[in-house]
Amino acid sequence: MGIQVQFRKEAAELLSSGAVKLVIGYGEGSTPERRRPVFVRTPAETERLVLDGACVANLSTYLISEGLLSDGKNVAVFLKPDGIRSINILAAEAQLNPEQVVIFGFDIENGEARPLAGRKASDFTQVVEAAKAAGLSPELQKEAERLDHISAAERFEYWKEQFSKCIKCYACRQVCPMCYCRRCIVDVNQPQWINTSSHTLGNFEWNIVRAFHLAGRCVACGGCDRSCPVNIPLRLINHRMAKEVLDAFDYYAGESTDQKPVLATFRQDDPETFIL
Amino acid sequence: MTRILLKNKLDECIAAWRSAGFSVLAPVKRNDLSRFEEVERSADMALDLQITERTIKDHFFPQTEPLLRYTIKKHDLDSQEMLPPDIRRVFFGVRPCDASGLAIDDPLFGWDYKDQYWFKRRDNAVIVTIACTTSDDFCMCTSVKLAPDSTKGSDVMLRPLQNGTGWQVEALSDRGTALLDSVSSILQESSETPAPPASVPVKFDVDKAMEWLADPANFESHFWKEISLRCIGCGSCTFLCPTCHCFDIQDEGDTYTGIRRKNWDSCSFTMFTMHTSGHNPRNTQSTRWRQRIMHKFNYYRGKFGVNSCSGCGRCTRQCPVDMGITETLQAISNLQG
Ligand code: SF4
Ligand code: SF4
Ligand code: SF4
Ligand code: SF4
Repeated sequence: MGIQVQFRKEAAELLSSGAVKLVIGYGEGSTPERRRPVFVRTPAETERLVLDGACVANLSTYLISEGLLSDGKNVAVFLKPDGIRSINILAAEAQLNPEQVVIFGFDIENGEARPLAGRKASDFTQVVEAAKAAGLSPELQKEAERLDHISAAERFEYWKEQFSKCIKCYACRQVCPMCYCRRCIVDVNQPQWINTSSHTLGNFEWNIVRAFHLAGRCVACGGCDRSCPVNIPLRLINHRMAKEVLDAFDYYAGESTDQKPVLATFRQDDPETFIL
Repeated sequence: MTRILLKNKLDECIAAWRSAGFSVLAPVKRNDLSRFEEVERSADMALDLQITERTIKDHFFPQTEPLLRYTIKKHDLDSQEMLPPDIRRVFFGVRPCDASGLAIDDPLFGWDYKDQYWFKRRDNAVIVTIACTTSDDFCMCTSVKLAPDSTKGSDVMLRPLQNGTGWQVEALSDRGTALLDSVSSILQESSETPAPPASVPVKFDVDKAMEWLADPANFESHFWKEISLRCIGCGSCTFLCPTCHCFDIQDEGDTYTGIRRKNWDSCSFTMFTMHTSGHNPRNTQSTRWRQRIMHKFNYYRGKFGVNSCSGCGRCTRQCPVDMGITETLQAISNLQG
């Protein structure tokens, strides 16, 4: 049985038994290449669910919608390993109860979706360990290295050019499962800590604040990078931050539901190279 | 016989306009982004693009713009207006939907108060539009009763010649006539025929959709919740829209001196309608999405007699979750039956 048929069938069973109130998956998009998030509440509607190699969005972002899980009922969601890591982080940061999340795990290999065994976040420990062992994306590493090999002044110019394109649409924040603050620091306006203007300075402020807030939390799902309407290579920032925490603290975001947040904890043997 | 501009004469044209004091802006693809930027030669132009990712609105109503500089003194207040510079600009290679967008927004900026920042730039701009002979999956000008060769908002219309060597030119306004006169020696008489405009399928019945929207019974319809479930509430669709025009006024500086700025704002944002008390009359994404649709296809028409959408399709093309005007208006016109 193909993965799509299998997931539809199991989703229908979960809905008809009342084990979950909602299934968040993918459906057909406005063009043949596009997939879009769909929300399925009845067994009949599971016909809308699609699963193939084009299903790349990290749907865990919908689990943090205000009030969705507050009735204690379960929700099922289609997730790749990056999405499963997001669930681990959200649980570790007390944003959701992982027991309420039923995971339809899958991975994409050679352009095709393949099922992953398990239903609860804790069932996927090996999947996450394998992802960590595989290391950070070599393609991204290559792209990022280009920036390591230019001078600081050139690098600054590069990011200045890129950030000057930012229009502060906040798609990068809105699409990100790790950006769950009900009132983002840029929206706090009494006082207005961060300029709302999207001039170059304001854009630097915004993108740097976000990069720091995502350090050790980003799961490299690529959502922000794909969503940015002005094509700022946000993946390079995320990658760099992930590499920093991996190198400095052997920390890989989203390993388990009780992993301590890297920038909110310390160990006796943490390197202190940056303390003057 | 009509007048044509040959592609191999375009550089002469640009040089003539530049030496007459115009800045020439055209579609450019640079730093992974397509938008209108100043060009010096035709080789810098990306005229083959179906449509630029950013709109020409940016050059009339920028994402952030200083309005005035202020200093608060002990007994009085000093302020100086910061009007945009008097630069005459030619926008070359505009798409008909983006040109229409400017015309759609004119009444808004000129309604009770004439926005000098908008009109100073409008009055100094000549819009040279190229009719579309191709379209993509998201183009929807015909659905909002415009066309791939619509002249709305344009000063000059260029129609690509069938043989691909240039464009048939037509002046549509005094400004357009003057611009063409300034290069009359570069233009040629020709009997070459223009290529037919793109055939853009009509995706929804906008009249039916407007009827449904005008019915107060539908304001609280469950439809709004269903259609907007996946909307993540970013500002992409509004900021990339050639007609969306909402802004916020912000003072930047310290207690005594600073700059007052006009910054884009978006009805998709939670903060857009947040009251000081903490109450938010549009406290769900569905009410915000409804606002966007109602504003475009009901309120704006009520006030200015025209819909606030030129059918460029960017809201669908660029939406991170594949929403957009097209899907919603299709669904609504189907509901109306
Ligand atoms: S920062 Fe970007 S890549 Fe990282 S988790 Fe958020 S959306 Fe995904
Ligand atoms: S998605 Fe891109 S343009 Fe929008 S706020 Fe983020 S970085 Fe800026
Ligand atoms: S419709 Fe799309 S682009 Fe517009 S606010 Fe919603 S998610 Fe963002
Ligand atoms: S609403 Fe969408 S299609 Fe209409 S003008 Fe705006 S971006 Fe273009």
